[in-house]
Amino acid sequence: MCGINQDPEPSGTGDGTGTGTNAVFTALLEDSVEELYESAPCGYLSTLMDGTIAKINTTLLGWLGMDRETVVGRLRFADLLTVGGKLYHETHFAPLLRMRGEISGIALEMKVTGGGRLPVLISSVVKHGSEGEPLLIRTTVFDASDRRTYEEELLRRKQEAEQARAEAERARAEAEQARRQAEADRAQLADALAVLQQSLLPASLPLVPGLETAVHYHTASANRLGGDFYDLFPIDDTRWGFFLGDVCGKGPEAAALTSLTRYTLRAAAFHDPEPAVALTTLNSVLHDRYTATGDPRYCTAVFGIVEPGAEHDQATVRLASGGHPPALIVRAGGQVDSLPTPGGMLVGVLPTAPFTTAEATLAAGDTLLLYTDGLTEARTGPTRKNLYGEEALYAFVAARAPSAPQEVITALTGLLGSFGDGLDDDTALLAFGVPAARPHTLPATDHLR
Amino acid sequence: MSPLTITGRDTTTGPVVEVVGDLDYAHATALRQQVERLTLRPGQRLVVDLASLEFCDSSGITALLAARQHAQAAGADIVLSGVPTNTLRVLTIVGLDRVFTIRPDAATA
Repeated sequence: MCGINQDPEPSGTGDGTGTGTNAVFTALLEDSVEELYESAPCGYLSTLMDGTIAKINTTLLGWLGMDRETVVGRLRFADLLTVGGKLYHETHFAPLLRMRGEISGIALEMKVTGGGRLPVLISSVVKHGSEGEPLLIRTTVFDASDRRTYEEELLRRKQEAEQARAEAERARAEAEQARRQAEADRAQLADALAVLQQSLLPASLPLVPGLETAVHYHTASANRLGGDFYDLFPIDDTRWGFFLGDVCGKGPEAAALTSLTRYTLRAAAFHDPEPAVALTTLNSVLHDRYTATGDPRYCTAVFGIVEPGAEHDQATVRLASGGHPPALIVRAGGQVDSLPTPGGMLVGVLPTAPFTTAEATLAAGDTLLLYTDGLTEARTGPTRKNLYGEEALYAFVAARAPSAPQEVITALTGLLGSFGDGLDDDTALLAFGVPAARPHTLPATDHLR
Repeated sequence: MSPLTITGRDTTTGPVVEVVGDLDYAHATALRQQVERLTLRPGQRLVVDLASLEFCDSSGITALLAARQHAQAAGADIVLSGVPTNTLRVLTIVGLDRVFTIRPDAATA
């Protein structure tokens, strides 16, 4: 300001540009302090220590839409604030100001005539007299609308982000729930399959006086219900029924056929245990249920009756076969016989089918073996042209004869294992026989113990 | 495992269906569907030519039985021709050699 006042040539040079600049400075100089106070880009007000408004500038009056007359000397600073602002002023702002003598950057809301509210930033300072006593409070008010808008925008974005996060979390939880449900469903299905599978096969073979029995069941797939079946059950005090077979197809439909077959044969055995009659009954049931309705389904089966002798030194077997490979008898002397039932037809294909019954006597040490074609159709080479076959089976069994039922089954279980991937079908093996006569004297080695 | 190819042709006595490859669980349905689409008239003879059949399991036998049923329903005959030794052995075990008419080859069928 001094420099301007001492300008040596206020107008003498005739330089147009210099003259214009000076005019601006002159205008600034004419901007009185009063004008600066009233029209400043922020609000000013001064209050007595009790808050009564002593002075307020035009800018603030304009923001609030109020007249100077209704404000000065009539209202207190707190009266200009919203209810929330008033409360905050009373509990925080005023006590802090009295304590510190100044306070700055406090966000409050002021009432605007007509119902609006104006977000503001308030700074106040206490003016003291020469003795240090507080005289009045000077306050500046900044319009914080833009800042509030910005903060609200920030808040909104934050809420949106939180909402998105919550939704993502919920989606993740739902996916987890779905995964758990799927696992539970899978477990339930596996349980159901296991229960069904158990209903198709006996849990264990019953003890038959005078007979030794052994069985093995190979399931091609844990997730697929087996299509082979077997059973051994008492018919009366002296006779036992047995059967073993293979239904066509795989999966649930094969299981339904297996179930029908198993319970039909069991029921038929009690009605008339003559083997050919039981198979004839099964043939009628399957034909009526499937083939006659245009859905040809069938099974192969051997059904028989075994009657152990009272002295437990022999047993009589009568069996009939419906399209099934013949039973093998491993004799105590080492010979292997088959028990052919020629002409036995697939069960369930024709409305009436012939079944013939064969009979054999098992002496002590003889073992009868029934098997399904998973064994003989196992691949022994890279293609399906190399199948294990019946001749190989006979040779395998003969090489180990004589064999008790459990020995036969154990050896064949090992054989099945040796096929590896070549064994791709279910396989059922059932053997029973009359135990070999025990030597009456114990081996000498035992005497030496 | 070989893929299954089924080709059909018409003759004066009726349709001939030639089956090449494996007639197993995975492929038997194709034969069933192919045969069920055939229109057979009473007195006609459906020939299923198995000369190039490489493998036949129980599903394949089911498909052959379905073909037999389809022919019978139409009043037609069914003949299996060129049955490979392995399949003939299986058909004999299960008694179907007496259910199907079996001829050495499609020409004499």
